Amino acid sequence: MNLFDLFTPHKKTWLYKVNPAVKFVLFFALFMIVFFNQHYQFTMNIMIMSALLLFLFSGYRLKRLLLFSIPIVISIFSTAVTMILFGKGETIWWQWGIIKISEESFYKGLLLGFKSASFGFLGLVFLLTSRPVMLFYALMQQLKLPAKFAYSFMAALRLVPIIIDELQARSNAFKVRGVTFSKGIKGIFERLRLYMLPIFAQSIRRAQRLAIAMEAKRFQIGADRTYYYPTTYQPIDGVFALLLISLSLGAYFLS
Amino acid sequence: MWLKNKKGRIDLKGLRFTDLLITIMVGIVFGVIMKFWDDLYSVIKPIMPVARQLLYGMWFMVGPFAMLLIRKPGVAIIASLAGASLSAFIGHGFEVLLYGLVQGLGAELIFASFRYKRFGIFVAGFAGVASCFAGFFLDLFYGYAALEAWALFVKYGLRVISSFIFTGIFAYYIVRALEATGVTNSIRPVSKEDYESLN
Repeated sequence: MNLFDLFTPHKKTWLYKVNPAVKFVLFFALFMIVFFNQHYQFTMNIMIMSALLLFLFSGYRLKRLLLFSIPIVISIFSTAVTMILFGKGETIWWQWGIIKISEESFYKGLLLGFKSASFGFLGLVFLLTSRPVMLFYALMQQLKLPAKFAYSFMAALRLVPIIIDELQARSNAFKVRGVTFSKGIKGIFERLRLYMLPIFAQSIRRAQRLAIAMEAKRFQIGADRTYYYPTTYQPIDGVFALLLISLSLGAYFLS
Repeated sequence: MWLKNKKGRIDLKGLRFTDLLITIMVGIVFGVIMKFWDDLYSVIKPIMPVARQLLYGMWFMVGPFAMLLIRKPGVAIIASLAGASLSAFIGHGFEVLLYGLVQGLGAELIFASFRYKRFGIFVAGFAGVASCFAGFFLDLFYGYAALEAWALFVKYGLRVISSFIFTGIFAYYIVRALEATGVTNSIRPVSKEDYESLN
């Protein structure tokens, strides 16, 4: 099974039809609320809500979704543990050397774990049900993102596979030639320098050629333009907004 | 045509389309490098807490690096956001977008306070430290910062040192080496000396 199959849904649910710009704005708003909120019960409800969205409406098979969820579950523990062991607090439950578990640090740790899981699930729902290119087209048309930003992003994203190839080619070349690095911080600098220098020199030249080619084809900053993929607001966007808002309110009142 | 700004004046410092595309490209390349860095970081994370914080400066490098390279207003924040967008696309979620934006803003403010005229080791290093403080500010709201005083001091103290090393020293010398390849000649703002050399 190749990587492309891994990210192909079993069936395309209604979430795929929601305007990506609308989806992005609503998810980002929800993300901001969770980010600044300090109440662990509410965060837990949001986490459950985002997990439900993922498992019910993403259109992927259960086995695949469980596989995607493994890193998220690990992140709950890895973020919670440091805070539980070293967080500040008054009501001490258990202490051993510099490790101190208190009531406050325990709940703070849970809060952190639930937050990172909420972000993980929300991000996954968004990524699995939206195509990057359509997101940029919708951002340009519905949210008036200037075309120069959107097209620069799309062009640069297309070049990512080339960048990865170049990095791997260099890594192999170092191995073949037996390049060795110093120990410690100096070694880190040598590594960064050897990898970054050619990658950036190449990428800058490539970006420059690309920009000149686009301008030669009459791509103009600030000019009125038409779009290859027209995107609009649809009734389903309203349904999605209502669902998300009512679920969030539910999460709030249940906490 | 592209050298003129909205008022029709010739604009030597503003971002042309070429500059914008290069800035975003630099951000995206950093996004890819940060992905590989993240793999290294994840291995070290549980076993070497001190080394882990010392490697943290990498996340602040993108904004100052792009600014040292291109030297035009807005570059640090756009590159930082572009790097974060790539991380978000490969599955690091919405929080990296927010961190990228705020950290880029921190670096941008330092360069702006020197009126985009100073690009030495110290200014670049301070830009990195400003990014680090901006990240700390977000950590306060996220909840990462509610540690015991000693743990807080060790964690963020090491991070400040690391951000200075990565954005000041490392970024500065790598950009210097890039200058030697000649790729920066056509993207930097045209200076007065350049004009005089034409006469």
